[in-house]
Amino acid sequence: MGRELPPPAWITPQPPPPQRELEEPRPQSFFSYGFFSFALAVGLVLGLGLSWALGPLPERNTEPFQLKREDRNHYLIAIALEYEHSGNLHRALEKLVALRPLGDPLQALADAACELASSDYINSESGVKALRMAARMYTAQGRGGCAEPLLPAEDLPDKPAAASDPAAPLPSPTAPPTKTPSRRASRATATLRAVATSVPQRTFSPLPASTFCDTANRAVIEVKIVDYLGRGIPGQRIRVRWGDEENVFLSGLKPERGTGYADFQMDEEISYSIDMPGASDPLRADLITGRCYTESGRESLKSFRVTFRADS
Amino acid sequence: MRSLVLGLVLGGLLGLYLGWFQFPRDAYRGDMTELAQSFRDDYAVMIAAGYAADGDLPGALDRLSRLRIDDIPRYVQQLTDRVIASSARDIRDIRLLVALARGLGRLTPAMEPFLDLRGGGR
Repeated sequence: MGRELPPPAWITPQPPPPQRELEEPRPQSFFSYGFFSFALAVGLVLGLGLSWALGPLPERNTEPFQLKREDRNHYLIAIALEYEHSGNLHRALEKLVALRPLGDPLQALADAACELASSDYINSESGVKALRMAARMYTAQGRGGCAEPLLPAEDLPDKPAAASDPAAPLPSPTAPPTKTPSRRASRATATLRAVATSVPQRTFSPLPASTFCDTANRAVIEVKIVDYLGRGIPGQRIRVRWGDEENVFLSGLKPERGTGYADFQMDEEISYSIDMPGASDPLRADLITGRCYTESGRESLKSFRVTFRADS
Repeated sequence: MRSLVLGLVLGGLLGLYLGWFQFPRDAYRGDMTELAQSFRDDYAVMIAAGYAADGDLPGALDRLSRLRIDDIPRYVQQLTDRVIASSARDIRDIRLLVALARGLGRLTPAMEPFLDLRGGGR
């Protein structure tokens, strides 16, 4: 018998079979990522809730719109006080709009007066005076609330101090840039109800509308209310009418677009007319949207820019 | 069990930190005392305008008390002096503040020129 030959070189030696690990159970890990993640999320929610419920308000520069309701109401009344002295409706409306009311800023003033008139605020003479001033301001602009009937009848003359007021005889008080219906006249009336009957003057003129085509702003009427120098005027009523319907909205509710800005979403194949009720004639041309193409060739719907400018 | 406890503790601490410092509760509950300086000044000017309109000094004091200031006449004096010194506001506002300071018996020499500009006063 000959010697046993080694295997040929092309035959790879097989590694030994692995030891089976199932023979012994693996020891349990003391840490579970699943449980940990779940508990972390629960703890996070609990911590946030706890801090929001009990945490202090941060020390920071609060703006008037961040005031709590009660202080906000007093701030609104302060705006009316200033208006009573200056007669500057533009400035007052800017401050009202800066409070970021949900709707009509003048109605927000009326609502604040209503709340205060329903509280102890009305028990003091100072409170009554302040509420009267606020009521004079918003009723002169055609707004109303629950404060007027709650106020005691006004005795004339209401303001003996104004004649001897050291700050009153300013050489050139600021004229209201917008309609100036009846602030002065209202002082001569016996009751506040007479103030609301004043007829606003037509003080704005519509400029010819221009069109634009933009895929981001489809079929929109962009309205600007400006004074004679082109500065935006907030709080002005704008009316859009179509068919038997109409929608009245205010300028300045999108302050990021400008103080005198407002917009309206159009529908296709409907003709719209636009004016400022009691303050301007309607825009001569009706506005109808239709298909248009942007400079890059994209299809959109035509939009309009309309400006109402104060006459003086 | 350890994972749960550890997760709850870490999550709770993280939540407290975020809620307390990084994302504090909404500030729509602020009061007048937290108003930024410029808005506090603005509020005082508006109250001074109200005083100019109705001559109601107790009413002006009551309204300014919402700022929770201990010594309101002193505050009005300091505010008026500061506004005059910095020329930070319109001259009409300065006149209103001067009138209120005068009503409160806190007229200072720095304020007097603004009384003169109005052509006298009370």
